[in-house]
Amino acid sequence: MARGDPDAFDAVYDLLAPSVFGIVRRVVRDPAQSEEVTQEVLLEVWRDAARFDPGRGSATAWVMMLAHRRAIDRVRSVQKQSERERRTAAADIPFDEVAEAVESSLERERVRRCLRSLTDLQRESVTLAYYGGYTYGQVASLLGVPAGTIKTRMRDALIRLRDCLGVAS
Amino acid sequence: MDAVSGPDRARFERHLAGCAECAREIASLREATARLATAAAVAPPPALKARVVAAAAATRQRPPAEPEAAAGGRQAHGWRAHGRLASGRQARGWPGRGRLALAAGAVAAAAVAAVAVLFGLSNGSMHDQLSRAQASSQQIAAVLTARDATMMTGAVKGGGTVTIVMSHARRELVFTAADLHPLPASRGYELWLIGPAGDRAVVMLPPVRHGMTGPVIAAGLRPGDHLALTAGPPGGAARPGPMMLDVVL
Repeated sequence: MARGDPDAFDAVYDLLAPSVFGIVRRVVRDPAQSEEVTQEVLLEVWRDAARFDPGRGSATAWVMMLAHRRAIDRVRSVQKQSERERRTAAADIPFDEVAEAVESSLERERVRRCLRSLTDLQRESVTLAYYGGYTYGQVASLLGVPAGTIKTRMRDALIRLRDCLGVAS
Repeated sequence: MDAVSGPDRARFERHLAGCAECAREIASLREATARLATAAAVAPPPALKARVVAAAAATRQRPPAEPEAAAGGRQAHGWRAHGRLASGRQARGWPGRGRLALAAGAVAAAAVAAVAVLFGLSNGSMHDQLSRAQASSQQIAAVLTARDATMMTGAVKGGGTVTIVMSHARRELVFTAADLHPLPASRGYELWLIGPAGDRAVVMLPPVRHGMTGPVIAAGLRPGDHLALTAGPPGGAARPGPMMLDVVL
């Protein structure tokens, strides 16, 4: 095999692994399990790359959705066996306590700035649901707000984030 | 955001399937949501990379979903086939066990390049090169999974190696190169088909990224063709120049 070929996957890994590992670790918490899930996700991307349908969104969004979903799957399957201890721990993580090891980037700064532009309830809802991996119902009870309110806030928050980030619709 | 579970999710997806506007909104919100993951990026442990790369080398890629698979229930999610639900389609999607005469390594070689294209790495940009990548990765997958796919590798005069995966039945080949000698800006590598049917310029090779060039597709192969690599003006030459690689197909 040509020597350059493994380099190409190296480059894909370098591009995706920090974001995939970052979101998986936020949701799953346990480092060893996070590595397993990250590997699962990257292999799934590799395996199904030809099946990706660009008519429905960007490749990056596809991968991040996959990463988030696999992380949630892992958490919820573990959760079934034992009520998770991470409940309070995850709720306490402020949204901007991220990115220890990765050098700061403009993109990340922008996302944080946009998160800060949300109302507290919007930001908490999004943070708990996305980074914490909680369902609407769980977010509602954690914040002591009716589930219907959470759904509305979450949608408003995502619309605001989208507009703030300048994501094409 | 995956914050909906169980019956709620099923109801939500049924609704989405019949609501184009909702689906558009969801797609745009999903893009915004993906940026939240970017904001959480952390460097994974260094040892993970070797494990993932090794596992990828041992994992066979799936070809594009067939049209009937695309019409399946996963559409509301936005992507045709992913995750565990996709596994049932594997048998249908693949052309059949044993049909790949190709070494697994060869499939991995060209397919890995297709993944790189999908994420825009071939032109060094973080942005997704969507429609182009889709078209070329499907065409590439079709060659790689052809019944008669064969692989060859060759050395380039002046440095570099090329990998070619060819299907005579499809009259197409996938070409990738590694470690080609860099050319001055006034010159570029060009791929030619040369044979009894005439000399045809195929394509100027895209710029080198991470040591890789391509993959590119050459279609319309004829009996007796050779594949040649030349260096010429960046806009393409009228006739093939001195050959840095000449492969009998």
